[in-house]
Amino acid sequence: MSLFLTQLMNGIGNGAVYASLALALVLIFRTTGILNFAQGEMALYSTYLFWYFTDRGLPVVVAILAAMALSFIGGALVERVVIRPVEHSSPLVLVIVTIGLFLALNSIVQVQFGSDIKTNLPRAYPKHTWRPGNVQISADTLVLVGMLAVVCVLLYLLFQRTKIGLAMRAVASSSESARLSGVPVGQMLMFGWGLAAALGALAGVLVIPQIGLQASSMQSILVFSFAAAALGGFDSPVGAVVGGLIVGVAEALTTQYVHALNGIVLIVPFGLILGVLMVRPQGLFGRRTVERV
Amino acid sequence: MVSRRQTQVIGLVMSIIVLVLLIWLPHHNGSTNTLRWAQVLYIGVAAMGLNLLTGYNGQVSIGHGAFFGVGAYTSALLMHNHGWSFLPTLLVAAPLCFLVGVLVGFPALRVKGLYLALVTLGLAVLFPDLTKKYVHATGGTNLVSLNRGELSPPAWVPTSVSAIGRDDQWAYYVCLGAAVVLVIAALLIVRSRFGRALIAVRDHESAAASVGINAARVKVMAFALSALYAGIAGSCSVLVTHLANAEKVQTFQLSIEFLVALVIGGTATVVGPLLGAWLVVTLQHWISDTLPQHVGSLGPLKRVLGDPAASPALFGIMLILFVFVLPDGVVGGFRRAWARFVRNRNQTPHHAPAPLAT
Amino acid sequence: MIAHRTEGSTSSRKLRFVALGTVLALAAAACGSNRGTSSTTTSKTPSSGGGATAPVVDTSGCPTANDTTGVSGDTITIGTSLPESGLYAAFTAILKGEKSYFSYMNAQGGIEVPAGSGKKYKINLIAKDDAYDAAKTVTNVNSLINDSKVFALFNTVGTKNNLAIRDTSDTQCVPDLLIASGAVQWGNPKFPWMLGSELVPYPLEMQTFVDYLLKNKPNATIAVLKANDDFGQSYADTLQALVKGTNLKIVQTQGYDPEGSDVKAQVTSLAATKADAFVIGGTLLACPNALNAMGDAGWKPIVYMSGTCVSKVLLGIAGKNAQGVLSVTSLLDPADPVNASNPAMQLYKAQVKKYAPDADTSDGIVAYGWTTAALFAKILSLSPKLDRGSVMNTAHTVSGVTGVGLQLAGSTWSTSASDRFIGETFQLINYDATAGHSNPVGPITDDNGKTAKLSPAVLLNS
Repeated sequence: MSLFLTQLMNGIGNGAVYASLALALVLIFRTTGILNFAQGEMALYSTYLFWYFTDRGLPVVVAILAAMALSFIGGALVERVVIRPVEHSSPLVLVIVTIGLFLALNSIVQVQFGSDIKTNLPRAYPKHTWRPGNVQISADTLVLVGMLAVVCVLLYLLFQRTKIGLAMRAVASSSESARLSGVPVGQMLMFGWGLAAALGALAGVLVIPQIGLQASSMQSILVFSFAAAALGGFDSPVGAVVGGLIVGVAEALTTQYVHALNGIVLIVPFGLILGVLMVRPQGLFGRRTVERV
Repeated sequence: MVSRRQTQVIGLVMSIIVLVLLIWLPHHNGSTNTLRWAQVLYIGVAAMGLNLLTGYNGQVSIGHGAFFGVGAYTSALLMHNHGWSFLPTLLVAAPLCFLVGVLVGFPALRVKGLYLALVTLGLAVLFPDLTKKYVHATGGTNLVSLNRGELSPPAWVPTSVSAIGRDDQWAYYVCLGAAVVLVIAALLIVRSRFGRALIAVRDHESAAASVGINAARVKVMAFALSALYAGIAGSCSVLVTHLANAEKVQTFQLSIEFLVALVIGGTATVVGPLLGAWLVVTLQHWISDTLPQHVGSLGPLKRVLGDPAASPALFGIMLILFVFVLPDGVVGGFRRAWARFVRNRNQTPHHAPAPLAT
Repeated sequence: MIAHRTEGSTSSRKLRFVALGTVLALAAAACGSNRGTSSTTTSKTPSSGGGATAPVVDTSGCPTANDTTGVSGDTITIGTSLPESGLYAAFTAILKGEKSYFSYMNAQGGIEVPAGSGKKYKINLIAKDDAYDAAKTVTNVNSLINDSKVFALFNTVGTKNNLAIRDTSDTQCVPDLLIASGAVQWGNPKFPWMLGSELVPYPLEMQTFVDYLLKNKPNATIAVLKANDDFGQSYADTLQALVKGTNLKIVQTQGYDPEGSDVKAQVTSLAATKADAFVIGGTLLACPNALNAMGDAGWKPIVYMSGTCVSKVLLGIAGKNAQGVLSVTSLLDPADPVNASNPAMQLYKAQVKKYAPDADTSDGIVAYGWTTAALFAKILSLSPKLDRGSVMNTAHTVSGVTGVGLQLAGSTWSTSASDRFIGETFQLINYDATAGHSNPVGPITDDNGKTAKLSPAVLLNS
């Protein structure tokens, strides 16, 4: 039983990471209708910034905030410079643009920061493991879950209680009518991308010190985050969180209990998506809308 | 005046010229260049297949690298383990990929748009793991590497007629043959009833259904046909690269290359994917091979552009710039330019050229 | 640095160049390598690199006899393919070490082939990027052979990448020398034109660890983490074969995706077995991540970790969880302060700083590139003639090579017609987390000639 619970905690820890990145994907999908293939690499770039700042002697918390702030600006700029010129093009062109961004960012971090593994990433909190009744709960898991919870609350407050959130929701539901009622749509889109980038940055700086920083650090995470977002529904923040946790837990429990799938564990998240989408093509929590592709 | 008929004639003449040039190509190029052209052809074939699905039928896939892999592994294993020669393996690989396409196509009846794209992504990342678990070929790995004997062309193929070896020449002409046959097939498909049904389902599924089109069958067929194209491309690639191999990064990258070739060439056009494949392969070659040779003259940019790690960045940035300039691809851009040209020709000379709407 | 040890006479100058050619910065004049040199230079037939043995490589079926393609004037052009872009671009560091060594040699006038002949050659190394994609390696190698006309392929990176070119190298009789992979597939007798580098073959690591357990805990239960590829399989299969007939017992084996590095769930599962020993047949970040997950689980087994993970960088990530971890190495650790005063290490650091200022000299992978380049130079200098067949035969019949690059003192590298593995002498080490470096455990292990029979047949012969 304690083994089961420990694996459950492992899964929830990973799931929280998938969920945060899936949330970032959902934020961008809701505002601009784009599936951002570069989301993981944007978070990767942010984490390299974090590494760079701490390497230059900045305190961890300051470095995190600086990386998030710069990521926010970077995300907004990406929307303005890279996405805006093609926002009315076919969805395929948008897929190509974000894939171009994915390739470019992954290579830019290597040219800019070097392709070696970065080791001296400080943690924002001390490493510790608790063992109540033989169940392992690591500080890593608690921090990730806590971060996810705080992010969810903040996003909820932002969208439901602030003017800017209201404007963003207006843009998400119909950018044309939002524009007509005086919402600065362009700025809102930039804000949405900036927010997603900052969120990705936060997830990156918290999880990557656990797994090590190198150019490939975000790619397997991104695949699971995509699975999470699809499972929950691309337009549903709640779906992203639930999807992330399901995918993370399913992955850990499969590893523990289904030895026949050793080596092909990926079959589980994608089998899950397939199963769910066959029944609910819009994902668990997604709204049935006019399809975009 | 340039009539529609004249346009068709010009198109036909140009196709013949291109074909003659392609047939002549191994006589002029060395082995390395010829095989790069073979790569253009097989990537072009896969992109053409993806075009049937994505361009004409509106279903996005970012997992066609997996179908390509099924074709490559089928041919390679039959040749390596069972001593088959290449051509008969196509008779197994093509139907097999078609079948796998049907299987993957079924969920597409329910799952749509970017959700479907995600399911196909799952295919692309899962396929390499499956080969690692179940294929133990060269050196016990999931790589199937073929030796010269296994790759040698059948006896009826004449000895080399050009500067390059008989094997490389055979590889090239097989790719060319496959491309020609599949271009003609694509032309016939898109002009048939089925082709119109593909487009009708893409543009308005319920309307298509109301005029008696079986949308479900059309969509599954589109998947199966595109898988067949990708599979044949994979089979042909075995002759060029002498191997079948799968790693997540590479299967995903191939899937992306097909999509990129399709978009920068021009979706829903028959020659677009081939042109796009040529652009993708040439651009990548230029970035990784030609550019570094001239890097000395680049001054301050030398450190960045001379670093091979930067080549994916250059490719990514060029890709973005390309779709900024030509969002409808080379063929789309050419059509707009041609339309402008034709319109100017057709107008009386004293009129100033009218601005085009698009 | 070297000059102070040489006198002005011509004979000692000759000796000095031999020494330089092998980076014999240690007081190596007394060691076996010079004797080895003289014995090979006296042999007459091109086929015998190491004396009386029959040629390992049969050149009768080759396109050209005594092929000297790639040798032009006083330059030997060689080629390599490795990931310089993409997710595995970190391997570029190997190239920095290699280029530093060859630049250093070229600045000294070149490598004398054969040693004592007075004829010196400069090395021109052409590197091509394959992004770790075996298909691109094939293209690169075809272009290197057909267009660049290289003499040999050198230290091409990756197991599948080299498997993909073995037929080309074999039919065209182009040496694929010092492959950058410790896989056992290079011992396949059907492909004599390939030879692995000085990396310790993975099965020997398992032999060493099993010996260690038999001595220290003969009834141990063992849990295994392996990468889901042939690399991981080398460890798992060999271990399984070795524990047969002993009281050792493998209780669980877990695989992980080698394209990722998250192994938490796997290690949690392994930790639950409370096994006495833990074998990590993984590489790169999976190693420290496994150690950390083990620490989190409060599991304290005897740990053996793949020799590919022995680096300051990786062990540093694991911190105190890496305390006491066993592994093997065949090279001096450039991160270990104990080695700082070693003349070979000082030469290496000085030259890499000079020729590749952006390289991290304390990175083991740079040191590996440097040493492999030195070993290549050594093989050339041992070759009686400078043609592809002779060099390949020489590589297959070196004996008692010492003092190459950062080779461990006391280790000797040998090959023969029946033994196609170089890195079979090595040191068992354990990691001292407080001091931040590894310490030797017992004497140097000499497993010369043992690799082939320990290797899983499916890897070796297919």
